[in-house]
Amino acid sequence: MLGRLKEAIPYAALLAGAAFLYWDSSRFASLGRAGQLSPAFWPRAVLALLMGVCAWELARRVLFAPPRPRAEARPAQDEGEAARARRHPLLLAAGIGLTVAYVLLLGILGFFLATAFYLAGFMLVGRYRRAGVIAASSVLGSLAFIFVFMKIVYVSLPLGVGPFERLSIWILAALGVH
Amino acid sequence: MHDVLHQLSLGFLHLLTPANAMSLAVGLVVGMLVAVLPGLTLVMGVVLALPFTYGMGVTPSIVLLTAMYLSGTYGGAFTSILFRIPGEPLDVPLLWDGYPMARQGKPAQALGWTLLAALWGGLVTAVSAVLLAVPFAKFALRFDAPEYFAIVLFGLSGVTALGGASMPKALISLCIGLLLATVGVDDTYGADRFTFGVPILKDGIEYLTVMVGAYGLGEVLARMGEGFATPPMESGGKVETQLPRWREIWRLRPTVARSSVIGVLCGIVPGAGATVGSFVAYGAEAQYGKRRDKLGTGIPEGIVAPQVASTATVGGHMVPLLALGIPGSGATAVILGAFLLHGVQPGPQIFQTEAGMVYTIFASMFAAVIGMCLLGYFAIKPLIKVLQLPEAVTSAFVALFCFVGAYSARNSVTDLWMIVIFGVVGYLFERFRFPIAPMVLGCILGPVAENSFMTSMIAYKNDWTVFFTRPISGIVMVLTFLALAYPMIRHLRQALRVRHLPPGIAALGRETPP
Repeated sequence: MLGRLKEAIPYAALLAGAAFLYWDSSRFASLGRAGQLSPAFWPRAVLALLMGVCAWELARRVLFAPPRPRAEARPAQDEGEAARARRHPLLLAAGIGLTVAYVLLLGILGFFLATAFYLAGFMLVGRYRRAGVIAASSVLGSLAFIFVFMKIVYVSLPLGVGPFERLSIWILAALGVH
Repeated sequence: MHDVLHQLSLGFLHLLTPANAMSLAVGLVVGMLVAVLPGLTLVMGVVLALPFTYGMGVTPSIVLLTAMYLSGTYGGAFTSILFRIPGEPLDVPLLWDGYPMARQGKPAQALGWTLLAALWGGLVTAVSAVLLAVPFAKFALRFDAPEYFAIVLFGLSGVTALGGASMPKALISLCIGLLLATVGVDDTYGADRFTFGVPILKDGIEYLTVMVGAYGLGEVLARMGEGFATPPMESGGKVETQLPRWREIWRLRPTVARSSVIGVLCGIVPGAGATVGSFVAYGAEAQYGKRRDKLGTGIPEGIVAPQVASTATVGGHMVPLLALGIPGSGATAVILGAFLLHGVQPGPQIFQTEAGMVYTIFASMFAAVIGMCLLGYFAIKPLIKVLQLPEAVTSAFVALFCFVGAYSARNSVTDLWMIVIFGVVGYLFERFRFPIAPMVLGCILGPVAENSFMTSMIAYKNDWTVFFTRPISGIVMVLTFLALAYPMIRHLRQALRVRHLPPGIAALGRETPP
């Protein structure tokens, strides 16, 4: 039973979200012209379909799912497959945290520093341990990105604030980006 | 026909300009690299290349992305055959005969058959795109809003029904995409929808951030959640390609013909695509092939059928994309995105207004086929060196590409937050096995579907039967219902069949496939 409920969680969450959006659509439902469909018609039609499918899946999984036989553990085809089947929630949380920190710090540290730290951090979190390769690829990678995007594609990447901005400008000058 | 050939020859001339030729060459190499690397999917590669096209003209941009798409259908064959690692899902049937042939000490022959199949499939796809696109476009000139709505609905239902995942999950993914497309100020009445007082949401959610986040960062997070468990490969062995003899090739005529037709048809039908084409062609070979009893033991038919079909789908996909503006797959959705970013709306008029560009794209497909085969023949050894890169390093750079790509579109940090949000959404989709393609297509085609629906309702005084009473839209609506009903009927038949089995076996049969 617990397994069935666990399977049903995504559908229940989606159903609740869709119901909330359906309720929210009443704010703009009255804005249409007389005799014409309101601007809420299309999103409501989509939400109705979404709620219908979620309700069906919920009912199917919780109420009508037949009891499952005790499945014997399927032997993994190879070592790689077995390793991939294992989950690493802490690693994932660290990766998401690192990514959020990157976006937060990009405007403060500037593109070069934030990117170099992000690349190095990502490789370390990904359990890669060759320090020389990590340092070289993160610094050279950041410089290459700056050169390609600012010099060739003309994208204005964030420079950072205060001393970090001065460092970014110095790096840009060294790379010949004006 | 004479006009088509004239335009095509002009297209070849345009292709010789430095920008187009360079785009073609880069697209071929990058497409093949992306397909070789197991961590990167073909669609993800095309998405990551998109930001580089901002500063380019529309023609080189589309040439680059199309070349990547085409060579990507071939590149994954190497790792499938040599290392039993399918770079893409479409390469899975290739390893069933390709890998056994390589294990029998004939890897060079296996690669030779793949090269030949990719060459044939590519030429078929280029010819079919040239021949079918103009009649398609002429036919589409008769379309009004109800026909457009019906066609878009057919495209979305095809992706939902044929996408390979469970239909309810695909429908949910599609609904989420359609809802994302409604965020912001609506086109008909100017009403704020689902903005929750956040000013940036008034502009709507950029489909680019949805695509890059869900496909790119989502995949990176999914691999991180698995602990980057794919070990780097040793590829130091002898790798070369040996072409088969003419007599051997001639013997495979029926296989090649069958697979070519299957490939082109799977390309034209929205949602079917290269993976479905590859599997269907292998299945057809198992059903109708002369040596069907030997399939799976390492025979050329098992390599040629899926490779011809998967490469042949590319041109089929380009036909509805160019003639109707409707993408049938993730990769063509990105190519449509590139058109729109450059202010060009594909559709029947494009053959009059941008004929030069369209025929340059067609010409580039012919050149790309030749180029990818030459690349596969001469540059295979350095190409598969990328397999030695550790997954954590490539993934770090892929994540960075996602961010820089999304930032480049509007120089907005808000888009980076969107990438993070859709990256997590993409990861959750992967985790719970929801397909991403319907969401992306819903996001891109949602505004077209809503506008054509609302325009029809205003023009025909809310008479919804107009979609069924007009001949073209009526036929397309029937096809849409058939596309949606087919998987349901198939599911019901399977359920009935399982019910008639003994209890123990029936219970096993109800287990959801992985």
